[in-house]
Amino acid sequence: MNLRFLLREIAHSKSQSVVFVLCVALSLISIVAVNSLRRDVNSSIMSDARSLHGGDIIVHSHYEYSPGLKTEIVAVLANGTVQAVQTWEFYSVARREDGRESLLSNIKVVQDGYPFYGQVLLQSGRPFSSVLLPGKVVVAGALLKRLGLAVGDSLRLGEADLEIADVVLSESLRPVDFFNFGPRILVSAADLNRLDLVSKGSRVHYRTLLRLEDENQISTVALRLQERSARSQERVTTFANTESRVKRFFDNLLFFLSLISVFTLLLAGIGMQSSLAALLRRKEKTFAMTRSLGASGFFLTFHYLLLVMVLSCIGWALGIGSGFMVERNFSHLFGGLLPAQIDLGVSALDILEGIGLGVLAVLFFTYLPLSGIKKVKPSAIFRKETDYSLRGGRSWGLFGCGLLLLFWLVIYQLEDVRIGLYFIGGFLVLVAFTALLVSGMLFALSHIKTTSLSLRQAVRSLLQPGNATRSIVVTLASSLAVLLTIFLVEHNLFDTYINSYPKDAPSLFCLDIQKNQQKDFVELVGADTELFPVIRARLTSINGKKISRQDELKKRGDSLAREFNLTYRESLLEDEVFLQGKSLFPEQNIRAGIIPVSILDTVADMGDIKMADVLLFNVQGVLLKAQVSSIRSRTKSMLYPFFYYVFPEKYLRTAPQTFFAAMHVEKEMIPQLENDIVNRFPNVSTINVSETAAELGKIMLKLSTIITFFASFSILAGALILVSSILATRMARVREAVYYKILGAGARFVLQVFLFENCLLALLSGGCAIVLGQFGSWAVCSLLLDIDYNPHWKASVVLLVGTVVLVLTLGVVSSYSIIRRKPASFLREQLS
Amino acid sequence: MLKTGHRIIFIAILAIVGCSQEQQKETEAVAQEVTLVETIVAVGDSLTAGFGLDENQSYPAVLEGKLRAAGYPYQVINGGVSGETSSGTLSRMEWILTLEPDIVILEIGVNDGLRGVDPQVTEDNIRQMLRLLEESEVEVVFVGMKMVRNLGPGYVSRFNRIYPGLAEEFDVVFFPFFLEGVAMVSELNQSDGVHPNAKGYAIIVENMYSYVVEVIERSPKL
Repeated sequence: MNLRFLLREIAHSKSQSVVFVLCVALSLISIVAVNSLRRDVNSSIMSDARSLHGGDIIVHSHYEYSPGLKTEIVAVLANGTVQAVQTWEFYSVARREDGRESLLSNIKVVQDGYPFYGQVLLQSGRPFSSVLLPGKVVVAGALLKRLGLAVGDSLRLGEADLEIADVVLSESLRPVDFFNFGPRILVSAADLNRLDLVSKGSRVHYRTLLRLEDENQISTVALRLQERSARSQERVTTFANTESRVKRFFDNLLFFLSLISVFTLLLAGIGMQSSLAALLRRKEKTFAMTRSLGASGFFLTFHYLLLVMVLSCIGWALGIGSGFMVERNFSHLFGGLLPAQIDLGVSALDILEGIGLGVLAVLFFTYLPLSGIKKVKPSAIFRKETDYSLRGGRSWGLFGCGLLLLFWLVIYQLEDVRIGLYFIGGFLVLVAFTALLVSGMLFALSHIKTTSLSLRQAVRSLLQPGNATRSIVVTLASSLAVLLTIFLVEHNLFDTYINSYPKDAPSLFCLDIQKNQQKDFVELVGADTELFPVIRARLTSINGKKISRQDELKKRGDSLAREFNLTYRESLLEDEVFLQGKSLFPEQNIRAGIIPVSILDTVADMGDIKMADVLLFNVQGVLLKAQVSSIRSRTKSMLYPFFYYVFPEKYLRTAPQTFFAAMHVEKEMIPQLENDIVNRFPNVSTINVSETAAELGKIMLKLSTIITFFASFSILAGALILVSSILATRMARVREAVYYKILGAGARFVLQVFLFENCLLALLSGGCAIVLGQFGSWAVCSLLLDIDYNPHWKASVVLLVGTVVLVLTLGVVSSYSIIRRKPASFLREQLS
Repeated sequence: MLKTGHRIIFIAILAIVGCSQEQQKETEAVAQEVTLVETIVAVGDSLTAGFGLDENQSYPAVLEGKLRAAGYPYQVINGGVSGETSSGTLSRMEWILTLEPDIVILEIGVNDGLRGVDPQVTEDNIRQMLRLLEESEVEVVFVGMKMVRNLGPGYVSRFNRIYPGLAEEFDVVFFPFFLEGVAMVSELNQSDGVHPNAKGYAIIVENMYSYVVEVIERSPKL
């Protein structure tokens, strides 16, 4: 091995080497970071699941426990290694001591020791167990505002007067509740009898939380309790098998990040391949000469493999190091989003996995250029570039093995065989489509007639045999298509989930407003409040086929057999668009005597309902036959009101209805407004979602930052591909410039040809990328994620202009020195 | 009662929808088959709607079967709306009257209680409903409701007083407690502890039947 030879080679090809190292590093940064984070989040979520559920085993019932279950709980507790706390949760009317005001509240009575895991955070910062003593209660801030009370005042609950000891800020056990009819009050179990609210005739949610000393006993004990429980009314769950929304949320987020990191890996791999090819092309004459001096193909391949390994080691170290630095800083990036007790760190497994993935990626993506070295014959001194394509069964076999390993890597990374196979299939289809599209475009290009000599030369130069145009355009177009897809999918996800939680999202809902209260209600809350009529009805049949409750129960998600809220209006809501039909109730196509109805795409999917289908509704005893006149879709989130079925006003104006209002009110103003509403309209129920809306808004903003952060790695990889592609063809350009000059062309002409050539290259790549990117993004959004698709055409224009500018700049900058050089010096260099 | 003409739902549809001549003929043909059936409208909330069950397991359907078996030619229309409060029911009384019922079974108020609505509001609403039915000369089976204990003694006693008081005020047939023998019995309710299952509804219909028959029997038309 000749070390000096290696160092000299690296020094001589600095730019290509730097691009290669950066590509190797990039291929690993996001994968290492995401994998390491995934492991940390998973282990942390398992421990957080306990906090979310408050115990190892949870027994639920709406009735007093059945005798069998009671006996079994006592038996489980008897061995001393299991502890239990019981809670009673119900609604009741809390009053001021003077009886002036009262408020429906959500009461939770808890025994000492509650909660086993997680915490109840109080305003004073004191520990919950030291505050919730007999005779005292801890309440939500909203209760104090609504009843005009303060900490230290007395609150009447049932038959007891209890002192308000503190304000609860958050409970790890309480999942996000959208529709809650009252603020929380926590009461000590010692006061349960004094309240006199829980006895026969009360509606209570009973829960028992159990903590086990021996974790391995959790499933066994849960099974014992389950066997003795009354199945129809009692439920036994463990912290691990209870579906956690937090876990589901992180699973989805990490999956999306994994997808981006695999994209980055593939893009960086293409960058590696392309920059190494550029480096080797530059060395082609050197190989030929070394070969003519007696060096074997093996000698050269071995040395360049070593070169690749040296550069890769630098890249791996850089990639793994940066990956961990990124992961270390996740606490800033994910602030407030990651589980509280997460321990972010680097494990030996993370390092091993990183190195393994890195070696695999480098081997696969450098195989093609490296295998071409031994094909360089001494005669290449006098010829043009060598053909690097695969020849022979062994080469194809090795390449196939590499491909299989790459497939395995993708499946391993995505942790889902089916999605992994879809991904690989999609990627192969992408490359095949790109190749096909590029061939078509090049064919079209070859038939363009033009009088401009420089343009003709540019086209010929692109099409001449031996030029790498096709492979460069396929590489560039595939990469740009992937980048565009990431961008478009990301923005469509934002449109659906993030932009739909703007600051002015509704924070207060009011139900049961009566027809004759409309005017006064709007006067009270503000003239810009829209009231939505709500008419309750059941859908009984679709095109004469009855809705079967049994069939609907078998389906996942929403059911067509439930009662629906119908409404009437003559125009779309602000956040609605038509999927089919140009107006809500176009007169054509509706059968005489049948009422038109506009339906939402969600319900159309649920019941496979199509335009012109006939739906039969039962509006509280009155049958209503309607024909689908349009299908709508929504562009905003669940916080905005929406209606599955919209009718023309004239048909439902007289139907029994109440009104519903969704308003945005500043969080601090809500309790007062709720009081005003309830005092003036006691029948109206109010639901305050300000806490939930604010929390969701914050989470969504964080998500957008995280996804953009990871997507930026892909963009960087794409830029590196662009640079390496330009570098790869530099030699060919130098030669062309020289030939033009020998034939008498001026610098201006040569520059013009290069400009046209680069421009055509960029337009071809950008054009293909837009076609494929738009199609791919539509497919991902519509078929995989099931969200609305917005093509964001501006992004496509920016991509095209950006590619043209970048390719032209890089092309001209790299060719400028060539254009100015005298042909003789180049020829002397080539022949010396 | 002085009502005449068909008492079937299609008339109401025609009135609302304004059908074409052709369709009118079509619906009239169907109407002929059921012309002689008298109508009971069961008005109420999820307890009437049969929340969580097939419509044919809810009490209006079971009651209709029992009445027909006993030779009473009545159809019982399910006019229950899940989650409805007394304010909602009051606002749809006009609509209910378009069904031209002979008898209304009025079961409402439990959701008012579960949402902590002031019992005075509930009482005023039900009073207005009973007045409207009285003015329309519709016979009523008034169903009483009792509030769950956990709402607190003050609230529960005010709420529970509403029903017997109004029954006396309007001199209507009064079925004192809809969930008698069913409330809080786990075998007779769904797992939410609130809504009866099919067995529970069978008991409710048994309990209610004599009150319904009493109203039918005293109806001047039979």
